[in-house]
Amino acid sequence: MTTILSDDVSTPTTKAAKLRQAAVWPVHAILKRGWMLGSVFGGLALWEFISRVLVGSKLFLAAPTQVLVALYELTKTGELKTHIWTSASEFLIGYVIACVLGVLLGLAMAGSKAGKQALQPWVSGLYATPTVALAPLFILWFGIGILSKVIVVAVLVVFPVAINTEAGLLTTSRQLIETVKSFGASPSQIFFKVSLPSALPFIFAGFKLGIGRGLIGVVVAELFGARAGLGQMIQQAAETFDMPTLFAGVVLLAGAGIALTSGFAWLETKLIPWRE
Amino acid sequence: MVDPITKLSVSHLSKRFETLEVLRDISVDVHRGEFISIVGPSGCGKTTFLRIVGGLETGATGDVRLDGRSITGPGSDRGFVFQQDNLLPWRTVLDNVEIGPEIGGWRNAEQRVKTLKLLKLVGLAGFEKYYPRQLSGGMRQRVNLARALAVDPELLLMDEPFSALDAQTREIMQTELLRVWEEGRKTVLFVTHQIDEAVYLSDRVFVFARRPGRINEIVEIDLPRPRPLSLKRTPKFVEYVDHIWKLIEDDVRASVLEEHA
Repeated sequence: MTTILSDDVSTPTTKAAKLRQAAVWPVHAILKRGWMLGSVFGGLALWEFISRVLVGSKLFLAAPTQVLVALYELTKTGELKTHIWTSASEFLIGYVIACVLGVLLGLAMAGSKAGKQALQPWVSGLYATPTVALAPLFILWFGIGILSKVIVVAVLVVFPVAINTEAGLLTTSRQLIETVKSFGASPSQIFFKVSLPSALPFIFAGFKLGIGRGLIGVVVAELFGARAGLGQMIQQAAETFDMPTLFAGVVLLAGAGIALTSGFAWLETKLIPWRE
Repeated sequence: MVDPITKLSVSHLSKRFETLEVLRDISVDVHRGEFISIVGPSGCGKTTFLRIVGGLETGATGDVRLDGRSITGPGSDRGFVFQQDNLLPWRTVLDNVEIGPEIGGWRNAEQRVKTLKLLKLVGLAGFEKYYPRQLSGGMRQRVNLARALAVDPELLLMDEPFSALDAQTREIMQTELLRVWEEGRKTVLFVTHQIDEAVYLSDRVFVFARRPGRINEIVEIDLPRPRPLSLKRTPKFVEYVDHIWKLIEDDVRASVLEEHA
């Protein structure tokens, strides 16, 4: 009989090897990621040098160390917490609404010809449109509070999710569908047991695309008018030529993007373990 | 009234795909516990025939009866083993095998005992938690077979299940299939391109002709069971293969020429 040989079937020996690796982690990891760490710290050092020596003015460019100091000051006064909290809630509410709506839209488009014909032009059209340019309009309509930002985020995120959901459902293998049909599966059983799980990786890709777009939405909407939030903080810092604070805001947003994306990648390995 | 001998009864079965006549007036009976192979050149409608019996094809005329009941659609009284293994990649071996019972709504502890027995029978004990991508082609086909057997079907329908496997694995799978079959003696319809495979496995071989698809001859295979692989080198076996090949040779030549034209 043939046997399987797949790398990711953890045998006791590979587990032991992983444990040994973990024990010497710091040295090992640093050696293994030498080029990456070198590139990051080299880049930061270059930035520090350019801003301190070549530019020499905080008004034009803040050095990494100055950004760190600004972050510390903002944390101490408690100001930063308010900004982060405001932006995070705007993002999360808008994002979750958009994900739910996007999946429903995708289902409607994949589910019926009429749904597809009616929705496709709007979904594709609005996905291609830089709707973020409409942010001032939303603020005019819904005020400078949280609602206008939630809407901007939702509008930016909903379309990639819808398009990916539809694509995922449509690429479901017909042979797999026929297989469960041969056991007498009903249409709803076919959907829940085959189409939906088969579309999951696509839907997740849509969610991931939405992260970056949603973050852009929050910041841009806040730039146009807000009482608090990282975008508003950046806007104010720019008006007062407070470069360290401006950079602090940007760094925090970048961190959020990286954290959310890698968090999603992790979640994907848990929810879609059959992939690779 | 269930006929004690006849399991499957096909009468005057015809099928067209628009203008193309795929099957013409097929009438044949299959006995309880019989192993039937269907061979024939490409385009003779043998797979279509199997799919009609499986209820996967609509628009055929005539009558197909399983235990006296007319077949109108797919159902768990038949187990279909597809050419591609068609395993659901997000389900483990166990969850794939139990999809039939799950769809039928009887996936329970009692079924689990049967499933584990079945996995042992096809040589997959211990692989319950593996995903399809972790298995070789031969092992995936075993899962495919176990999945069809898990609904305890009245009739097992197999559509060239070993054609994607390499020659050696295929031979092993043939002996394995016979071993599994001896356990329960299900009625089997097995479609194949390989004449020696058909002779080796079957009690009777339905030889199909093309344009339109119909039964050319039914060859009774009078070879003792159990059948070792060495049987394939005996003169009687070779004679059967030769006879069937002669029946379809002209048709095969014609279909090959057509494909090139």
